[in-house]
Amino acid sequence: MILFRKFRVLILMVFLVACTMHIMIDLLPKLEKRAAGSSSSAGGGGGCSCAHTPGEEPRSWAKQRARAAAAEPGWPNKHSLRLLQDFSNEPNSNLTSHSREKVTERAESEKRVRQLQLGSEKRGLMRDTVKQRAVQGSSRLKALYEHPLYKTDLPHLSEDDTLFNLNNDIRFYPKAAGQQEWHNEGNVEEEEYSPTGEATAESYPNWLRFHIGINRYELYSRHNPIIGALLKDLVSQKITSVAMKSGGTQLKLIMSFQNYGQALFKPMKQTREQETPPDFFYFSDFERHNAEIAAFHLDRILDFRRVPPVAGRLVNMTREIRDVTRDKKLWRTFFVSPANNICFYGECSYYCSTEHALCGKPDQIEGSLAAFLPDLALAKRKTWRNPWRRSYHKRKKAEWEVDPDYCDEVKQTPPYDRGTRLLDIMDMTIFDFLMGNMDRHHYETFEKFGNETFIIHLDNGRGFGKHSHDEMSILVPLTQCCRVKRSTYLRLQLLAKEEFKLSSLMEESLLQDQLAPILIQPHLEAMDRRLRLVLRVLADCVEKEGFPLVVENDLDRQPSSHHHQAH
Amino acid sequence: VSTERGSKLERLFRHRLYNIRLPELGPEERLLDEDELVNYCKRKVSRWERLKKFYIEAAAASNITIPDHPVTFDPEASWLQFHLGINRYALYSRDDGSIDRLLRDMQTAPVISADFTQDEKALKGACDCSQVVKPSGLHLKLALKLQDFGKAMFKPMRQERHEETPENFFYFVDFQRHNAEIAAFHLDRVLDFRRVPPVAGRFINVTGEILYITHNEELRSVFFTSPANNTCFFAKCLYVCKSEYAVCGHPDLLEGSMSAYLPGLSIAPRISIPNPWIRAYSFTGREEWEVNPLYCDNVKKRYPYNSGNRLLNIIDMAIFDFLTGNMDRHHYEIFTKFGDDGFLLHLDNARGFGRHSHDEMSILAPLTQCCMIKRSTLFRLKLLARSEYRLSDVMRESLSRDPLTPVLTEDHLQALDRRLGQVLRTVGTCVKKLGETQVVITDFVESSRVTT
Repeated sequence: MILFRKFRVLILMVFLVACTMHIMIDLLPKLEKRAAGSSSSAGGGGGCSCAHTPGEEPRSWAKQRARAAAAEPGWPNKHSLRLLQDFSNEPNSNLTSHSREKVTERAESEKRVRQLQLGSEKRGLMRDTVKQRAVQGSSRLKALYEHPLYKTDLPHLSEDDTLFNLNNDIRFYPKAAGQQEWHNEGNVEEEEYSPTGEATAESYPNWLRFHIGINRYELYSRHNPIIGALLKDLVSQKITSVAMKSGGTQLKLIMSFQNYGQALFKPMKQTREQETPPDFFYFSDFERHNAEIAAFHLDRILDFRRVPPVAGRLVNMTREIRDVTRDKKLWRTFFVSPANNICFYGECSYYCSTEHALCGKPDQIEGSLAAFLPDLALAKRKTWRNPWRRSYHKRKKAEWEVDPDYCDEVKQTPPYDRGTRLLDIMDMTIFDFLMGNMDRHHYETFEKFGNETFIIHLDNGRGFGKHSHDEMSILVPLTQCCRVKRSTYLRLQLLAKEEFKLSSLMEESLLQDQLAPILIQPHLEAMDRRLRLVLRVLADCVEKEGFPLVVENDLDRQPSSHHHQAH
Repeated sequence: VSTERGSKLERLFRHRLYNIRLPELGPEERLLDEDELVNYCKRKVSRWERLKKFYIEAAAASNITIPDHPVTFDPEASWLQFHLGINRYALYSRDDGSIDRLLRDMQTAPVISADFTQDEKALKGACDCSQVVKPSGLHLKLALKLQDFGKAMFKPMRQERHEETPENFFYFVDFQRHNAEIAAFHLDRVLDFRRVPPVAGRFINVTGEILYITHNEELRSVFFTSPANNTCFFAKCLYVCKSEYAVCGHPDLLEGSMSAYLPGLSIAPRISIPNPWIRAYSFTGREEWEVNPLYCDNVKKRYPYNSGNRLLNIIDMAIFDFLTGNMDRHHYEIFTKFGDDGFLLHLDNARGFGRHSHDEMSILAPLTQCCMIKRSTLFRLKLLARSEYRLSDVMRESLSRDPLTPVLTEDHLQALDRRLGQVLRTVGTCVKKLGETQVVITDFVESSRVTT
């Protein structure tokens, strides 16, 4: 007993010392930060400062931390953990590191705008020189793109037709100048992308050139060499950070690259041969990474060009996800399976449980990487409810399923009562039917272009689920409305011909992906079968209502490419 | 019962080892008193009749008609005989005719009511999706009441026979297999343990035999028609958490296993005891027995494993689980009436028979670490390793009597022989190390008289 009492003092002492050290260690960075804050405000004034020498170390604690994390991607260091906890305590923010991600993203966008302003050859970028993509061998794909139907040109583009109108955007973000600091930090790490005054458009990273090229009529132009380079970037760029995407039903990761580009990663959930079980509803189906890849290629072959570029990539789960994420929620779902594979399941509302863990072999996992569209802060998008949206309920039916004259109603409702919107919906319907995607509840447009613009085909992961089944209900908008663009109609007819058979073209196009084969043969053949079904529906429409009422001539309005080139 | 001449199974059951006579049973060695049980059941039936009227009225109010099945109380009912036959040595005796009758009844008798099981109701709808190991009450299973007032637990088919547990699955997220339940009962009988309640396979019409007759509003609400026009239902929590999809009939018929209920806890209380060789139930954790080869020495000193044959019963159970490949034996149950020396119930075997290509040696840890085995068990295992009584052959024959035959694929049957060899080899190394007297423990007085 006495012995114990003697020791009690000792134990108390040790405890006190430990406590003091703990507090010291905790406070140190904050003090540093305070000191750094005062020094930077004294030197820079308003944050607009010239190049800091690398020796002029910590400007802000958070930044220092970020850099440290980038340099040695080990989780968790004590401070970052604490910081994340602080974030999660904020109401409204369950994003943890994702909210940080947003900050960088914003910074990046603003940088982008400045670059746009500086860029002298922007016209050259927006209207890409029509360079033929290098396609090897006796290529059907090459022949297709040489067909006159694939040589129609866009109308002349004015300032209002391009996504980025520089002066306006600059005014919208008056603080853009403050990001100079950020650039310089980038400068230290990554010399080649440093945006200095004399930077030329060619030195921009491909993702930025892709963003600059977006206009009222298309996400990218037909023979844009940047798209090929961007696809290569998606596969080869070093992944510098990973975050879970909040919202959305199934697990998606946001990956940031060395060149500050970002992409949406959807991991492989099913093998190529697996079909959606017959008892699954469209809303409980898995999202497939190969469907995302195939949708991009299909969209390009159909000449819609409304899907952002997607490439398949084998990702190392340890080095390229676990070790570079600052997202605690994601990080703690990693485990080693009984078969000694690395697995994780993340956090989301659908299939994020141990039963559906994603496992590597032993740590390589396949996935699709979809290039990000411009940040919403820079290019706002509008989300529209698809008039032919399904009920998303096990027993209820949607209005269009019971009312055969549903389209007449839609035709009278803005924005479907004018312009090409209804025809764009028909294009999307055909696109979705070819893939078997029943999950098109919403679609998006760029707000800047108002109602006279294309619709973006995002989120195609639920296509290509069943090759043995053609879901005719997807075609209902077409059967009810009986309208189609002439350009689309002619291309569909072309793709039904033996020499331009859709399945062969798709096969050839998909071979360019690193994860090829992307689709198994039955899926390719199903597309041919579905294409014939679309053409039959259109033929029935023409027979019933007459060609001029069904087929909207969108070809004669535009000058032909030859005419345009003559100028 | 088939009386085929060349039947290996018949020959096995005629073998001396399977005909050790039990000591005469005293009244205290039977689980239930006949009069008490009959009175208990009569009370239950009249209560059921009373409630049924109320259910039917309530259902009629919401425009549902529930067929009114008359219930007759029959003192000769097979399940009643099964309950009366439970004694301190086993769940049923070797030549008990009521067991075969019970299996037949579970395969064919009309279902008069369906409900959630008690352990699911006990959870009161609590559902935590972040839980990695879900409590057993959350798994999809139903309590079905048969015409003769017997009850069975229905576990629907979740996996095709040829499918194996995915290699990355931990034991605690593995599927529940209806065929494993059936095969476990037959294996247990072939091993002469008789510690698994009778299980039979059955095709259930999910619409007619569950949806239309259930009195439970909540159970009715988990039914829906799939896009392929099949009738489906789901385990609410697991469905909400998106960890499991629904099970579907084709279009109404669904195969599953029917396990006979044990006597109610109010007349035959049981206790659930953690297995000393429990697993960590986490991704990374390890239990003491997994790292300490001398773990058994500690267990041997601990009550109730320090006396009687409780430890030997645990080793029997480990051998049984190793043969089926069931890693999920976290608890075992005993009847309180028989005290510490009573037999262990081998309930809930649905996670066995998941991998035929893999022998999980860690399940055998109690045997390898304690190095002791009952003489009777060892002799039977040796017998089943001989070609004239080969385990896979007798199992194949036994399982062929089930309506869902083939219950196990050939690969699983072959695995049984291979694993049996592993067990015998393990005993062999123990004997070499410690000598036969240390390892092979005489359990029954009679078994010592039998020589092979």
